[in-house]
Amino acid sequence: MDKARPWLPDLGPDLGVSREAPGMSLGPESSDPGRILPRDTAQEAREASDEEGGESARQDCPQPRAGEETDSSSRPPVAKRRKVDTEGKRGRQREVNEEEAQEMRTLVAAMSQEQLNRYQVFRSSAFPKATIKRLIQAVAGTPVSQNVVIAMSGMAKVFVGEVVEEALDMCEKWGEKPPLQPKHLREAVRRLRKKGQMPSSKHKILF
Amino acid sequence: MADEEENPTFEEENEEIGGGAEGGQSKRKRVFSKELRCMMYGFGDDQNLYTESVDIEDLVIELITKMTRKAKSIGGSHGRVQVKDIIFLIRKEPRKFARVKDLLTMNDDLKHARKAFDEANYGS
Repeated sequence: MDKARPWLPDLGPDLGVSREAPGMSLGPESSDPGRILPRDTAQEAREASDEEGGESARQDCPQPRAGEETDSSSRPPVAKRRKVDTEGKRGRQREVNEEEAQEMRTLVAAMSQEQLNRYQVFRSSAFPKATIKRLIQAVAGTPVSQNVVIAMSGMAKVFVGEVVEEALDMCEKWGEKPPLQPKHLREAVRRLRKKGQMPSSKHKILF
Repeated sequence: MADEEENPTFEEENEEIGGGAEGGQSKRKRVFSKELRCMMYGFGDDQNLYTESVDIEDLVIELITKMTRKAKSIGGSHGRVQVKDIIFLIRKEPRKFARVKDLLTMNDDLKHARKAFDEANYGS
């Protein structure tokens, strides 16, 4: 299961991926409907080398993935060859993701228990989509698409992170201890406003 | 706040949900306490004292309402709030931009994967 999500460190079922990140980083699987499960890392590396012209690499895909043994011989070579270019770019991207995933795995393996707890909560915490959708639709007056809600929730979480980080910096600078107090938050907001990272008042149409 | 007066009908709905004008903070119900408490712990705060720093919820609601209004006022989409407008608005803020781009890409990939999965199921 951890191979299915190379960007997610394997921390167990309760990491709450479903809310934090909407899914697995798969490539354009629509080009190969015979492949049900996402590619494992060995196959990803082979995809990356495909871009350099190693078409034969695709023909001899030895490891059968769970439940999908039939496609190695029935794959149409010509269609595959034509699709190599677009998949090559994504293959490179996935290779980079695989490196990042490896780094994350190492990092997570080195964390203490308290750090692990905190990281777990960090990944799985999210704003409830229903409430956000209600709020946006109340302001907008029109129904909004699901992507807007996804974008806004993600943005809100990053925003909270920015404020909390800045507030923790203030806290540390003033020599005080973690439970954040309103004064830290207010100072953090003041600084972020100066940096231009706070939501500013909308520009009125002047003419 | 002059810029809040533009849509008076929406203000009422905002206050019932808790967004909008900065004046009515004491009347608002806390819509995000559980999630915000977890989130702040995840970002490095301590576990228990969220009740004192409830200002953050107001900030979040302000962010959402201001972004929505800005997106709505972008001329190209005729008053609809669309993703591309939101992306345009945060183009100068690297973290938000990167995060939104990642989320949307992953969602897209997941949709493709699900579609391929369903096609495969139908085929077999």
